[in-house]
Amino acid sequence: MNPLIKAARYRSRDSAHRLIALSLSYERAPLLARGFGLEHLRELLVLLARPLLRQGASLAYGGRLQERNDNFTFDLLRLVSAEQDEAAEREKSGDADDVLPIGRLFNYSAWPHYLRITPALEARWINSCRIIRIDQAMAGIAPDQCIPDGDFDPDRDVAHAPRRVPLNSAICLSAMRRMAMDGLALTSPDVARTESVPPVSVRIVLGGRMSGFSGFLPGIFEEVLLTLERGIPLYLLGGFGGAAEVVARALLAPPGTPLPETLHAGWQFKNAPALEALRRMQGMQPLPYGALDTETGLARLGTAIENARGRLPQALATGLDDIETRELMETRDMRLAAALVHKGLEKKGFVMLAA
Amino acid sequence: MSSLIPELYVLWHPRCEPGDALATRIHGWLRPGNGLGPQVFYRSLPAPEAPPGGLPPPLPGESRPLSAVQAPPPGSNLQVVILLIDAFMIAAPTWRHWIGQLAREQGAAARVCLPVALDTTAYNGPVALHALNFLRPAGVPASGTAQPWADEVVETVSRSLLKQLTETLCDLLLRPDDAPPGAGPGPTLDLARPKVKIFLSHAKKDGTVPARRIRDYIYSQTQLAAFYDENDIPYGSSFSRVLEGNVSGPTQSAALIAVRSAEYARRPWCRREFSLFRRPLPMPAAGRMAEHWLLNPTLVVDALAGGVHTPGIPELGNTAAIRWSEDIPAQEEQIVTTVLRDVLLAAFHRAVGQTVPDAPNHVVLNWLPDPTSLLHIPRIRQAGAGLHVYYPGRGLTGLELDTLTDYFPEVEFFSFDRMNP
Repeated sequence: MNPLIKAARYRSRDSAHRLIALSLSYERAPLLARGFGLEHLRELLVLLARPLLRQGASLAYGGRLQERNDNFTFDLLRLVSAEQDEAAEREKSGDADDVLPIGRLFNYSAWPHYLRITPALEARWINSCRIIRIDQAMAGIAPDQCIPDGDFDPDRDVAHAPRRVPLNSAICLSAMRRMAMDGLALTSPDVARTESVPPVSVRIVLGGRMSGFSGFLPGIFEEVLLTLERGIPLYLLGGFGGAAEVVARALLAPPGTPLPETLHAGWQFKNAPALEALRRMQGMQPLPYGALDTETGLARLGTAIENARGRLPQALATGLDDIETRELMETRDMRLAAALVHKGLEKKGFVMLAA
Repeated sequence: MSSLIPELYVLWHPRCEPGDALATRIHGWLRPGNGLGPQVFYRSLPAPEAPPGGLPPPLPGESRPLSAVQAPPPGSNLQVVILLIDAFMIAAPTWRHWIGQLAREQGAAARVCLPVALDTTAYNGPVALHALNFLRPAGVPASGTAQPWADEVVETVSRSLLKQLTETLCDLLLRPDDAPPGAGPGPTLDLARPKVKIFLSHAKKDGTVPARRIRDYIYSQTQLAAFYDENDIPYGSSFSRVLEGNVSGPTQSAALIAVRSAEYARRPWCRREFSLFRRPLPMPAAGRMAEHWLLNPTLVVDALAGGVHTPGIPELGNTAAIRWSEDIPAQEEQIVTTVLRDVLLAAFHRAVGQTVPDAPNHVVLNWLPDPTSLLHIPRIRQAGAGLHVYYPGRGLTGLELDTLTDYFPEVEFFSFDRMNP
């Protein structure tokens, strides 16, 4: 065998330059009630992400750069970094022709959360991760409504923050989710070349907060909505609780079935007190174009769900058949869920030989 | 040897504060390297469909008539249920009933319950548990489980628990399939079975301290046997035959610990012991077309003094190493428990390997392949195009695959998870 193709048989170039969005979060209670812990989610993350990275796909993840159990940013960074190190070693050993560039992590961070990211932290991971800051101007907030970064210390007691912080923060979060879906071009002063960040090609969703979330609606709801509206493959692992389960159950219901109350704005306003405050502030400051407020976002999600019901494989573009798509959305077996995601991705052209 | 493929379930009452930490340790210990071992699941909080104060999701194959959700069919042929028993579990009628039923019930999969005593009330459990031998981890505080344990307490208790659990699981998985049935259906732990034996390979010229300490630990603190050539070869018997019987062929020890001192590489007997032990053994064909090969685990205890030079030896292959240090307390326990865990994983991978589809171009291994061990397998050494080699786990790194492809260009390597992700 030609040595230049030796390990290439375990690889495919099909997924190079694609961006796979991961919407995964850990919440102890819903996961443990289904028989799993943080360790299982970490295993699942590696099981899903590693083969994609090895085939050149990049990952998009919106978690914060903080070592906490409820987000996996550092798990992903360590994985990307290890895979890059290994690819570099192989290149050095003369196998450059069959080494695909390893994908990297695009970490989206909306104002004001990125204010906590220090240059030292960013520099440490610079080769594995591109941090994309969505600031207030990018989110379309009028200059006179923007809060100068120096006026706000995100580590300080929120009570001392300017009043508009929650609203501007929610607007930026909404913009971040939209921009991640559509891709964006980044410029740097005095640099001629524009850096382009690819749009999301596939979204994989598990868990997600139903309470205590930032923004106008639970993040998973907004991400699912944007993914469904764009017809991008959506792998919804609904058997593990959280917002993903709420959406999955709603999608699995027959057409015409009333939506669960958690998908109605009234329930959200009643159960998430921060939303009511946001609504009051919205009255004083109209939202920028494209930003989704709670009512609009949930209404559009309801429509998208209704349109998808009864034709899930097509609407979710899973590459799986109807039975498999439903199984993926209901199963509480993580290995089965991962296998179905892999199968769907294979059918979509993401060959998974390097699993 | 057994063909059981276990799934483990760790059960603890939601108010048992150290339950999460102990379950996490069990998971991490039995699934090293990101999921190399058996599946471990948890049962603690009520299932989403359960009434308040209700039970966690049923175990696969469990009958629970009042449950809104039916249990899925068993995904394995052995359920090992680890019950972290404390006062909360004993006092809660729902839990008490459940664990009693789990111990009594014979479902579609064989089930073994391993009760763990986290306080003195643990022995007041349902009658079905009375006959079982409890795991009794050392270091459990008298204050019980109502408050979180300090990190050092969790560490002490977990270490002791993992040691006992590893030995118990080895007893289960190393049991031959044709062993006579015990008192009840399914696997039992009370069979008279030869002790699991660990071979201690060492160069006496460098002194015997680490090897002796490991041997003494095995005899005084475990239910294992050690082969230690200083006093395990009967007078008048053939030295080489006894040694070889312990490191090769069907009577070989379950694992080998090599105490690598400065002289180890220069002692012909040491190298021979190690080399023979690292020679894979073919499994009987039993009507199969695929070849199945076994390799029992090895562990190197690096006992080189600082600054000492010693030659390298290729026989070591990809064997893992632990540095010996007089400063580490209970290091013998760490070494023996680690090698025993590897024995357990080797047995598990052997059983999983039997589920690889049977085909004449398939070779199935129970270890992570390296060139040194693969060169002993004629079929691989002389491979033509289209030979598939299956190995445990979730895939080697690209670097490792490249090295193997350099040696065996016609062979394609597949991890077990590729077959059954």
